[in-house]
Amino acid sequence: MLFYLLYIDPGSGSYLVQAIIAAILGVTFYFKTIWLKIKLFFGGRKKDNQPGKREEHEQV
Amino acid sequence: MSRYKKHPASYRDPSGFVFEQDGIYYRQVNKLYAANYDQLVKSGLYDLLVKEKKMLSHTEVEENLTGEENWYRTLLPEQLHFISYPYEWCFSQWKDAALLTLELLQTALEHDMILKDATPFNIQFVHGVPVLIDSLSFEKYDETKPWIAYHQFTECFIAPLLLASHQSAGLLSMFQLYPDGIPLRLVAGMLPFKSLLNIQVWLHIRLPNMLPPDAGSKQKKSPAFSRQKMKHLISNLFSFVRSLSLPPVRTQWNNYYDETILSEAYLDAKKKIVEGWLQELPGRTVLDIGTNTGLFAEVAASAGKYTIAVDADTACIDKLYNRCRKQKINNLTALCSDIVNPAPAIGWQNEERAAFLERARPDIILALALVHHLVIGRNISLQQLVSFFNAHTTDFLIIEFVPLSDEKAQQLALQRDFRDRAYSEDIFEKFFSDCFAIEEKTVVPFSGRILYRMKKTGIPL
Repeated sequence: MLFYLLYIDPGSGSYLVQAIIAAILGVTFYFKTIWLKIKLFFGGRKKDNQPGKREEHEQV
Repeated sequence: MSRYKKHPASYRDPSGFVFEQDGIYYRQVNKLYAANYDQLVKSGLYDLLVKEKKMLSHTEVEENLTGEENWYRTLLPEQLHFISYPYEWCFSQWKDAALLTLELLQTALEHDMILKDATPFNIQFVHGVPVLIDSLSFEKYDETKPWIAYHQFTECFIAPLLLASHQSAGLLSMFQLYPDGIPLRLVAGMLPFKSLLNIQVWLHIRLPNMLPPDAGSKQKKSPAFSRQKMKHLISNLFSFVRSLSLPPVRTQWNNYYDETILSEAYLDAKKKIVEGWLQELPGRTVLDIGTNTGLFAEVAASAGKYTIAVDADTACIDKLYNRCRKQKINNLTALCSDIVNPAPAIGWQNEERAAFLERARPDIILALALVHHLVIGRNISLQQLVSFFNAHTTDFLIIEFVPLSDEKAQQLALQRDFRDRAYSEDIFEKFFSDCFAIEEKTVVPFSGRILYRMKKTGIPL
């Protein structure tokens, strides 16, 4: 089983790299969500006309 | 027991292997992979991916063809006509393959599975679109673990795409030197100064370089991960890959037809002749050498032939590939290949990845407006040309002779000081008649160029 797990070299430190990236992305996502809520609160009625809104979700 | 031959490149993954028997390719699933294979089928992931044309379909053969003890299943995949390798792809093909890999990962997660390897060698262009050909690429998803193939994905997909978009599309063929992935340290050193402003480059290329080589291995427990984190990572990789594009370049060739002195009338006339001949000729596969943006490759494809179109200019191939996808031409494979230096055989014992000419094996070769480039521009002699076509077409050759009086030939001849060399219609015919019978010969209207339709006589030179 050990052999099976090691068939691909995940790359030294690759797990750590992913953990760091995920943490950074998580924080960015958190603040983006808050920012989005603020924007919605002040401009809620205009939400259909907000061009950048969908992109913000995708670019997390 | 039965006689079978393992595919020389199918030795890495203990989950199973590809083998050939009586000219048919099969894939054996080993017992080791049984649980994962069952989940692939039972979860509906396999059916969904095949339906969406993202994975090659297969049928199960209820027989242990190899007789091996660790046999679990034998799969008969849809047979592929031709295999291309990533170092022959243009930028858009790489990008589409990278996006497909991420889509596969995303869909797999929804079925509680994960992609366990991310190499472009697992992707082929079938019926015009990229598909996963390795049915054993998925395993059960453990939410606490990050993506095992992340490092492979960055070195095998992000690295070449990034180098191409920041430097030159020509660097995509660097993958031939690093078929297991281009080392990130090397990539970081090759990126221009402006890439320092790119946060994605920092995260996925520079950050791994900044960590000490043994980072992570000292910790007994690997850092905890979650499904949510995985989603963020995938979504980030999607936007990174999507953001990469080629800087607009004007190459020598990609506007060849637009600005050429060759008139539209000449091209139309030539098209009609070639179209007529191709419809008459038997044979399934056409290789169009020096296809440019693929005008005549498309003629071959619409005549119902499976067409492989190659050109040394990656920008031309990019144009052609994108046009084929747009127009849903599904029997044309466009590849970057300089016919004077086609991809060699590489890998263990030089057997893993076959040389380009070994794989192509066309029934008909199209060599239109090519001869003068090779003879005058690249110093290939007419004898060498005859022996090349004799070796690589199974049956037919449609070839255009461009005389020295032609304006394009003149330009080349002037640059190269091409004088006193044996190059004329008579000499051309004399050399080719050694190995070919000239079936048809016609002067293309509005030019002094001559088109020949030849049949191989089978006499080795």
